[in-house]
Amino acid sequence: MPLGARRTGRRVAARLLAWARPRHPETLPVTFDRRRVYVLPTRFGLFFAVLLLAMWLGALNYNNNPALMLGLLLAGAANTSLLTAHLQLTGLQVSAIDAEPVPAGAPLELRIHARADPGRARRGLRVDSGDSSAVLSLTGGNGQATLALPTHRRGWLDVERLRISTTRPLGLARAWAYVWPDAPLLVYPAPEANGPPLPEGSGANALARLRPSGDDVHHLRSYRRGDARRAIAWKPSARRDTLLVREYEQPMGADVVLDWRQLSGIDYEARIRRLARWIDEAEREGRRYRLDLPGQPPLGPGSGPQQRHACLRALALLPGASGARA
Amino acid sequence: MAAPSPRLDPQSRAWTLAAAGLCLLPLLLQLPALLGVGVGVTALLVAAVSWRRPLHAVVRVLLAVILAIVVLWLSHFAIGRDTGCALLAAMLAIKPAETFTLRDARSLLGFALFAPFATFLLDQGPLSLVLSLGGAALALAALLRLAELESGDGLQPLSAWQRFNVVWKLIAIGLPLALAAFWLFPRLATPLWGVPERTMARPGLSDRMSPGEWVDLLTDDTTVLRVQFFGRTPDRSQMYWRGPVLWNFDGRDWTQPSWLRAYPPAPVRRANLVWDYSLEVEPGDSRQLVALDLLNRPPDGTDLSQDHGLFARRSLDALTRWRMQSSPPAAFEASLPPMLRRMALALPAGYNPRSVALGRQWRREVGADDVAVVQRAMSMIRRDFAYTLSVPPLGRDSVDEFLFTQKAGFCEHFSSAFVVLMRAAGIPARVVTGYVGGYWNQLGGYWQVRRSDAHAWAEVWLPNRGWVRMDPTAAVAPDRIYDTLADRASAADSLFGASVPAPVFDVTDWLRHGWNDFALGFDANRQRELLRHLGVNDVDTGKLATLFLLVALGAILWMAWLTARAERERDPVLRAWHRMGRRYARIGLGRAPHETADAWAERVRIARPSLETALRQLSLRFNNWRYAGDRPGREANALIAALRRHRPGTHALHGDSR
Repeated sequence: MPLGARRTGRRVAARLLAWARPRHPETLPVTFDRRRVYVLPTRFGLFFAVLLLAMWLGALNYNNNPALMLGLLLAGAANTSLLTAHLQLTGLQVSAIDAEPVPAGAPLELRIHARADPGRARRGLRVDSGDSSAVLSLTGGNGQATLALPTHRRGWLDVERLRISTTRPLGLARAWAYVWPDAPLLVYPAPEANGPPLPEGSGANALARLRPSGDDVHHLRSYRRGDARRAIAWKPSARRDTLLVREYEQPMGADVVLDWRQLSGIDYEARIRRLARWIDEAEREGRRYRLDLPGQPPLGPGSGPQQRHACLRALALLPGASGARA
Repeated sequence: MAAPSPRLDPQSRAWTLAAAGLCLLPLLLQLPALLGVGVGVTALLVAAVSWRRPLHAVVRVLLAVILAIVVLWLSHFAIGRDTGCALLAAMLAIKPAETFTLRDARSLLGFALFAPFATFLLDQGPLSLVLSLGGAALALAALLRLAELESGDGLQPLSAWQRFNVVWKLIAIGLPLALAAFWLFPRLATPLWGVPERTMARPGLSDRMSPGEWVDLLTDDTTVLRVQFFGRTPDRSQMYWRGPVLWNFDGRDWTQPSWLRAYPPAPVRRANLVWDYSLEVEPGDSRQLVALDLLNRPPDGTDLSQDHGLFARRSLDALTRWRMQSSPPAAFEASLPPMLRRMALALPAGYNPRSVALGRQWRREVGADDVAVVQRAMSMIRRDFAYTLSVPPLGRDSVDEFLFTQKAGFCEHFSSAFVVLMRAAGIPARVVTGYVGGYWNQLGGYWQVRRSDAHAWAEVWLPNRGWVRMDPTAAVAPDRIYDTLADRASAADSLFGASVPAPVFDVTDWLRHGWNDFALGFDANRQRELLRHLGVNDVDTGKLATLFLLVALGAILWMAWLTARAERERDPVLRAWHRMGRRYARIGLGRAPHETADAWAERVRIARPSLETALRQLSLRFNNWRYAGDRPGREANALIAALRRHRPGTHALHGDSR
């Protein structure tokens, strides 16, 4: 029976949540007006109310006026605190949200920018979505909170309704408002952990390039972020007291072609993950690369953040496995 | 929401404990000194020891049990109001030992707020009020700090000053609602449940008179009654406030037989004189009230005992008001039942032999004339005795020692000795205690009766006349008894060395009286009276509730307006400018947030040429005002007026039609 009751309770809660404003995603910026700010007592607030009721009943029974006055003053202050909590949110504007895309599985750092008239101090607002929460404090009318959202799948991440809430000033009531930004956030596919190396490029404009791999020692240079660990020349590094990397000379086809069609024989999502890894690897090695996906014009060749973003975005937005086979 | 409650940081803990301590303080002051100090010291020790880490659970339980036992032992294992309050104080004192998370701190503060409440059940004096309200305010400030902790905004905690500022605002804004509820919320005319009595009594008039016990009482200038006469005012020497009537004497103590309360009041033939007065009675420990001489009729909620003692049906733990009519008796219980006669003649065997012998000797010498015996006793006392408060403790035969050795004492000795003499002479007599006289508070226009006015006199029963009041003390020191010495008023304030002028004394009591009138003594009757003054007659609960709801609604609206006003634009010019922008928004030409005044005017000009001149002028003036440096006040006012006057609506229609 309690299980059934709990289920009913949850259903009622879900119904109420669906009824709360906003009921649809909305375009930012959004300003909270009083109709979409909700206030309910916290558990401590209920305890406090019971305490005050006991105090009143006792005071009325004994006709003890100072005790009654004490209870009433506390109640007045508690009541004002509800209004104050409400006013912490009304007039608050959520001006924008943004996030750097991350590979699926890594937490997405969602930044929420808020603005309000600087007349009132709005401090210690909490932003939550699901299990993650962050603090939003407005100083001089502007504030920013960073919320870590878990990601599971590549593609667009639809942000759920974000709850902005506060229990200040007295912790007796929680005032909250929802914001439901319709700005979708991109989640890149997760690259596979291990796999075959980059396919070698082919083409007319093959150039000799310095690569930190190959056979012939060319020279040593200082370490740069992203260099493979096996390229580090440990002994020279120890002598110079700085990390050095061997560079080898190797003729190579400058442009790597990452072709969807050549990756037959493995799973659909595994192909995406491999391509994602290759893109990262090509970026790290500073090579130009081109991505050929079925039914899309080739991306590139090129390199750099923009090319990487374009390619990973295309991969992230590939339709699901069933859709592709159809 | 099942996440573990966050741990307290030292600052939050300090605030919480300080608030709990201040809430506890007024309660400790009301407990018996030993208990109060004991609990206070325990609280400090516990807070100090458990500052870093919680006390072991066993230690906590042990402490709780020990304290509970000590409290019960000190109150002789009787459960009363003060015992309950003392237990609450004891539990609050050891609560800091387990206060380490946010939730602990909040529950501690919640329970700590009961301490002022409990204080008010015991005492409602100014000190308790100030301390309790201070404690409550500090508790709110601590809650504020805890909410800061909960919100995780640890970067910029508020300063203590800011916190009190917030608390003050919260209370001030909530005040109208609180006051409306205070004055208009329907009051209970009769209590739902009884009030537990105190078990540890304070000194005061009681149903017992023991030698030497009254010295404290007679030097205490606390006001116990405030009296206002309507019509005729009795002479000071007629103001005998009759209280407990003491019949039984065991050689040492005079006591009141409680069983007389079960019998109807003795018949009285009253004199023509009627005194009509109202009595404001400060809270006390017993249910016994005093009344001027003999009451015509007990007021509602009281009963008269056989010997015309007045008893309230509710305990008098809060300020009460009574309206009474009294008369002096012409004949008070003209025929005395034999059993009462026996009681009024009883003397303990083997005590005070010399006094008893003297009484009997008088009877032999005078014969059957009771009045002559009484006169003889009075004249002896008037001739040979003196009044003093400094009396060495008397031995076993206290009356003998007083009559034949000391020959000086105060009302307690005089009345006791007089009644013993009368009983020995075969005249029924009893001791009556109460107050005598009063102090006229010029400022407030009422009489004050203080503890120091406590008095004991005698009543002797004479054939045909019944009980007659005899005051041997007044025969010795009338000034002292009737309170006619002018400097008595300032004696109370001798704290300041020189005597304080009487007006100061008047003012303080008048303020107290006003506060009583205004707040402490407010009850269902008072409420009805207040509403009658406002033109609301025959109030019933329904009407009252409606009125309360209306006023409460008004108060809430006021609160909402006040708090919402705080966030509006401060600058009146900007406010008018924005309001005008909203009027344009209604016809689809609102100023976008990023748009400058000029750009907006330009856009409006293109959309609605007819609006151009007016808006351009206004935006030019606005720009000048806002950016041209100095802002002369009159120009700003003119600009505000112009901005308020401007309406885009009608022009827009003209513009479209052209």
